Amino acid sequence: MIIIDGSKGEGGGQIFRSSLTLAMCLGKSVRIENIRAGRKKPGLLRQHLTCLKAAQAICAADVSGADLGSQEVIFIPGALKPGEYHFAVGSAGSTTLVFQTIFPALAMLDESSELLFEGGTHNGMAPSYDFIRECFLPRMQNLGYCVDVDIEAYGFYPAGGGRWRARIHPKQDAPVFDLLERGVVLSQSAVVTQAKIPAHVARRELACIGRDWPLAPEQQHLRFVESRGPGNILSLRLQMQNISEVFESIGERGVSAERVAQNAMIQVQQYLASEAPVGEYLADQLLIPMALSQGGCFRTTAKSEHLVTNIAVIRQLMDVDISIEKLGSADYLVSLAV
Amino acid sequence: MKTVVISILGTALDRRGSKRNRWSKWRPTISMCQQEDLIIDRLELLIDARSQSLADIVTEDIQETSPETEVRQHIVDFTQPWDFESVYSTLLDFSRSYNFKPDRENYLIHITTGTHVAQICLYLLTETRHLPGKLIQTSPPSKDSNSTGEYQLIDLDLSKYDQIASRFKKEHEEGTTYLKGGINTLNATFNRMIEHLEQVSIRSEEPILLMGPTGAGKSQLAQRVYQLRKHRGKLMGELVTVNCATLRGESAMSALFGHKKGAFTGANHERPGLLSQANGGLLFLDEIGELGLDEQAMLLRAIEDKQFLPLGADKEVSSDFQLISGTNRDLLEAVNKGHFREDLLTRIDLWTYTLPSLRERIEDLAPNIDYEIEKYAKKTNSQISFNKTAREKYLSFGHSQQGIWSGNFRDLNASITRMATLTNGGRITSDIVDEEIVRLVNKWSQSIGKNSSPSLDITKYLNKNTIEQMDYYEQACFSVIIESCKKANSMAEAGRILFDKSRETKASNNDSHRVKQILTKYGISFAQIKNI
Repeated sequence: MIIIDGSKGEGGGQIFRSSLTLAMCLGKSVRIENIRAGRKKPGLLRQHLTCLKAAQAICAADVSGADLGSQEVIFIPGALKPGEYHFAVGSAGSTTLVFQTIFPALAMLDESSELLFEGGTHNGMAPSYDFIRECFLPRMQNLGYCVDVDIEAYGFYPAGGGRWRARIHPKQDAPVFDLLERGVVLSQSAVVTQAKIPAHVARRELACIGRDWPLAPEQQHLRFVESRGPGNILSLRLQMQNISEVFESIGERGVSAERVAQNAMIQVQQYLASEAPVGEYLADQLLIPMALSQGGCFRTTAKSEHLVTNIAVIRQLMDVDISIEKLGSADYLVSLAV
Repeated sequence: MKTVVISILGTALDRRGSKRNRWSKWRPTISMCQQEDLIIDRLELLIDARSQSLADIVTEDIQETSPETEVRQHIVDFTQPWDFESVYSTLLDFSRSYNFKPDRENYLIHITTGTHVAQICLYLLTETRHLPGKLIQTSPPSKDSNSTGEYQLIDLDLSKYDQIASRFKKEHEEGTTYLKGGINTLNATFNRMIEHLEQVSIRSEEPILLMGPTGAGKSQLAQRVYQLRKHRGKLMGELVTVNCATLRGESAMSALFGHKKGAFTGANHERPGLLSQANGGLLFLDEIGELGLDEQAMLLRAIEDKQFLPLGADKEVSSDFQLISGTNRDLLEAVNKGHFREDLLTRIDLWTYTLPSLRERIEDLAPNIDYEIEKYAKKTNSQISFNKTAREKYLSFGHSQQGIWSGNFRDLNASITRMATLTNGGRITSDIVDEEIVRLVNKWSQSIGKNSSPSLDITKYLNKNTIEQMDYYEQACFSVIIESCKKANSMAEAGRILFDKSRETKASNNDSHRVKQILTKYGISFAQIKNI
């Protein structure tokens, strides 16, 4: 039984989810203590419980402490089982976090699995479905993970109602991961995805982006989608030779369209100020799949708390060498050797 | 454990926002199901038939945002949502018909939706445990916040709240201190009795019977119970105190129950009577054992039906009063002798308290001395105090064998008054105490002499030391034994006189043996008695 101190590092839900993922993939039992200690509402919240139950479902784990507010969970994984799974998450949680928690484990099997997610897809507190599809999954492809996704309905906060599928294929062998250069920019675009909100909001966001970042009309996309409730998300995308990066800003009640645009633009400008290919959010998401493959290295723009936390969790559960080396002001080299 | 919420569909709050704008509005029942640290396994949604379409929207929204929650709709009658009686019975019917499984499910009663009347009813039903759960209250998010608002759980088991519990305790302590007249009494039995009486005074309006010797403080206590109840809003009317020993004959009836003009010779005016005067207030009947049988009968009816017939009236009048009775007599014995109605006794002694004599709680002498001094000082607007040796002398006398205190607190009150009156410059000196002790000793020896007079002189039969150790009661018993032996020709005959009742219930009688046993105890024989 490996004991993980959930209060270390970022000290929130990520350390909990990462522990579950590795426990399932490695077949190791874990006891996660002090979960979200010191937070305003300590212990498991609903969204963490959702991830725990999803993990339990795919590997018939023996679990104790699966209660709201629980600060200690024992997770003893059983045999992973491929197949069709349906996870109704509701609006409070995020379907993408559930997906990221369980897909590496299902990819280890010889058979494909078909997952159906219902709930939030674009809620601003987790990677959006679009981020997963455009930024995350292409890099997973490099690591041998083959996942097809398809969205049927968008789920904004608070109404939820999103619906998407992921087909997870058996993992392929892949070379050592290597992402040190961006390569030339192939395309760039701004996409507003919106439902049940006046169209001028989306137009104002694009207009505001246009002032700082000249984009041709065909690079600006307005997607008016069907959704149960209102929602708006602005996504700025850079397609480069070796990587695609996605920078998002969620429209919220009481936040002006211009402010939403600025929030996204700042992220793009920060990214462009560096030469490192991997943005802050993608960086920590790459580590576990890399550790489960051949390892490798990448350069990233930031040494975030999430990144450091994931490194610590991986070190506790696996015998790998991980190092971070500062190359410049917004340039870090992360190396992982299995 | 599953979490089950019982909530009334909020026909205003849950309808907020037009159908299209509803997600930008805070809707309590839906937001309750979206909380990140609360999973509701089942929602029992109480709806009126006219709100079915709203209920369906709310149900659908909940199922979408909170797939863990099963929503059950219950059609109930809320046609008069502002009528307390109708809403209460609707909710009571629901709670009675609902199959609660408290061992497997936790219940939360949502009180943010529904009319204020409905919220009050839910509160009452929860407090009385008809709805066995905690209250849940939801509140909107702060302005411009995108959150789903907040919720609070309220457990009506108030003992769980330290602050409230300590305030209750304080209030209770204030109440008991009040009943003790602010005297910091030390006697544990007395203090326990007062604590109990405090709770009864506040929670119950049933009759209270105060027993205890003269001067033990019955009427003061009755008065304080009255003040306490009045202070806590338990009664509005006045306190009417009657000493039944002062009521005699025809005038007793009239004084208690009133009379009509011309009811009897001399009844020139209508008189409402003391019971009517106590309407809405408290009636203290001191020395209730002295009340005549006719008055007892009337009083019983007045207590039971709150109605009685004034003298000369042809119609009953009603008076709703709370009752405290006081007695220094053994009412049970009075019942046995036919002097007191048994049915009246059972009606007035629901709460019975026996006030100990001063002698029985002699540790309370000191605080009562302080109290009496202060009372006197206040009344006369002067400064009164003991000098130290004087106080010690008085206290040690009070505690000694000599301190008989046969008149109890009345004696103490009189004694302090006398000493305080005699001071020069407000200081009670040793001399004053010495004089007072002489006065008290005289007074008490007289009263003992008076008590002893009917019985025969027992000093001829027992030595002085033995008699000094004997209670007055025991001395009286002994004198009766001597008297009977004198009369009888044999021990058996004496036994037949002494045990005239109990011997009949025994299978075999050995009367002489019982007499002999008693005499042996006192070291005296039948023959010796005969010879003296």
